[in-house]
Amino acid sequence: MIDAYKRLMNVEPPPPPKKARGFFTDTSLCIGCKACEVACKQWNQLPADGFAMTGNSYDNTGTLGATTWRHVQFVEQAKANSSRQDQRWLMMSDVCKHCANAACLEACPTGALIRTEFDTVYVQQDICNGCGFCVPACPFGVIDRAPKHGQFEAGTAHKCTLCYDRLKDDMTPACAKSCPTASIQFGDVEELQQRARHRLAELKARGEAKAELYGMPEGKEATEVGQLHAFFLLLDKPQTYNLPEVPGLPRKTMGQRYGWSAAVGLGFALVGALVFGRRQ
Amino acid sequence: MSRGYYDYPVVRRPVWTWEVPTYFWLGGMAAGAYVTASLAHNFGSADDRRAAAGGFYVAAAALVPCAPLLIADLGRPERFHHMLRIFKPLSPMNLGAWTLTGFTPIAFARAASHAAGTGLLRGPLAALAGLLPKRLAELAGVGLGLTLAGYSGVLLAATNIPLWAKSKLLGGLFMASALASGSAAVTLQAARRAVPDATLHRLAGLEALASAGEIAILAGYLAQSGRTARPLTSGRFAAPFWLGAVGAGAVLPLLLHRLAAGRHGRTLQSLTIVAALFTMAGSLALRWSIFEAGKDSSQDQAASFELASD
Repeated sequence: MIDAYKRLMNVEPPPPPKKARGFFTDTSLCIGCKACEVACKQWNQLPADGFAMTGNSYDNTGTLGATTWRHVQFVEQAKANSSRQDQRWLMMSDVCKHCANAACLEACPTGALIRTEFDTVYVQQDICNGCGFCVPACPFGVIDRAPKHGQFEAGTAHKCTLCYDRLKDDMTPACAKSCPTASIQFGDVEELQQRARHRLAELKARGEAKAELYGMPEGKEATEVGQLHAFFLLLDKPQTYNLPEVPGLPRKTMGQRYGWSAAVGLGFALVGALVFGRRQ
Repeated sequence: MSRGYYDYPVVRRPVWTWEVPTYFWLGGMAAGAYVTASLAHNFGSADDRRAAAGGFYVAAAALVPCAPLLIADLGRPERFHHMLRIFKPLSPMNLGAWTLTGFTPIAFARAASHAAGTGLLRGPLAALAGLLPKRLAELAGVGLGLTLAGYSGVLLAATNIPLWAKSKLLGGLFMASALASGSAAVTLQAARRAVPDATLHRLAGLEALASAGEIAILAGYLAQSGRTARPLTSGRFAAPFWLGAVGAGAVLPLLLHRLAAGRHGRTLQSLTIVAALFTMAGSLALRWSIFEAGKDSSQDQAASFELASD
C-alpha cells in the first residue's frame, strides 16, 4: 500500500547524508576583486541587476538578493587627520550562511526549502509557490523573492545554493573556485573550522587585536541559529559588516507568542459565555 | 550601539502587498463573528440566539474573499495547493493555510444549516444542511476560528522585522482586534433587525469588552516595542494608526457604547450601528498600519541591531 503510494506520487528516497560542506570566508585575505560575484552570476545564470552607482566606496552591488548570491562589501574606516595606521579598508564577500537552524527553512510552508545531504539549505524551484514568508524570516536579509513578472524564475524565492549542482559532482562552488586569494575557502565544515581557529591565532599573534570568527558553534551568534555553514573571519565587530550580534530564530519565541494569542481568545470565550449566561 | 555597514538595512523588505492585511482583517472578522454567534447560541436566551445567528452568515460571507486574497498574494498563484502538500504547524503560514481550509467549509455548512432552519434555504440542499450536528460544528468552528484569528499576528511576529518581532503581544493584539470586529459585525446585523434592547445591550457589551481588551494589549505592545515602534507611532503611518486604529477604531466605539448604555429603541440601535461600523473599520486600519509600518521597520538598521542584541 505504502509502496504503491510512493510509486504513484513518484516519491524517491533521499540521497544518503554526506559530510557537511560549507564556506570559510577569511576577510583578511579579501582584495575586493568581485571575481566571486561574477563567477556566481555566470555559473548560476543570474541576470545582471542593472548598473547603478551607490556612492558607497566600490560597492555598487548593495545587498544580497534574488539574483545576487555573493556580495562584496567595502568598509572604509578612514578618519580625518589620523595616522596612516588607523586607516583601514575592509573587504568582505557576503553570502547565505546556510545556518544549522535555518529560519527560512522553518518558515517555509510548502517544504520547498530543504536541507540537502551536504547539510546546506536549498530552495526547490519546482515546489516554491512564492508565499514570501522566508524573506522577512531570515535574520541576515539573504533570501528574496524574484519579481512576479520578471525575466528570471518569476515569483519564487532564491538564494545561494552552495552550488548544489556542482557539489553533486564533487566540484568546488563557483565563487570559491574563482577566488584568487583563497579568501573564500570551500570544504568540510569541521575541517574549515579547525583552519579558521589556526588562522585567527596567527592573526592575533601578528597584532590583529579586533579579529574574530563569526558563525562558529561556540560563538554567541550561534545561540539561536546554530553554527553557520558559511562562516567568517572578521577584522572588526560583526555590526561593521551588517551582521547581527545574535541573529534571531523565530521558533524560539513562537510558543510565548501563541500563548498570548490563545489567552486572549479563551478569555473572550469565557467572558462571552458569562455575558450571555443561559438566560431563558 | 556600533554603526553598521553604511545605512543599509540588515533584513529584507517584506514582499507582501495589500492582500495580506485585508485577508487578516476579513479572516479575523469571520472567526470573531462565528465565535460570538456560537457563544450566543449555546449560552444565550432565545432572543440572543435569534439575534446572533446572523453571525453565521457574516462569517461565511467574510470568508468568501479570504482564499482568493491569499492566493493572489503568492508569487506563483497557480501553485497555491503546495501549501497543503505537507502538514507543518511549525510554520505559521502552513498552519494558517490548513486552518482556513478546515474552517471555511464548517462556517459555510453552519450558515447553510441556519438558513435551512429559518426556511431561507429550501429543497434537497436544506435537507442536507439540516443533517449537520450544530453543537459539533460550533465546537470545531470555535477552535478553528480562534486559531484563524490568533495565528495572523504570530505569523508576522515569527520574522526578524523589528516592529513585528520585538514585542511578544502582536498575536494577542490581532486576536483581540479580530474578536472586536467579529462581535461588532454580529452586533451590526442584529441592530439592523431591531432585536430586543436587552439582547442588543449584551452584544454591544461583549464588543466593548473586546475593544477595551484590544486597547490594553495595544498599550502593552507599544511599551514592549519601545523605540522599535517609531515607524508606526511617528512615521507616515502615525495618522492611520492613531486616528484610524486607536481613535476611530477603539476609543470612539467605547464612548458610543458608553453613551448607548442607558438608551432604548431607535437611539440604542443607531448608536450601536455607528459604533460597530467604526470598530470594524478600525480593525482594518490596525492590521494595515502595522503591516505597512513593518516594511519601513525592515529598513531600520539600528532597530535590527537592537532586536538582535537580546
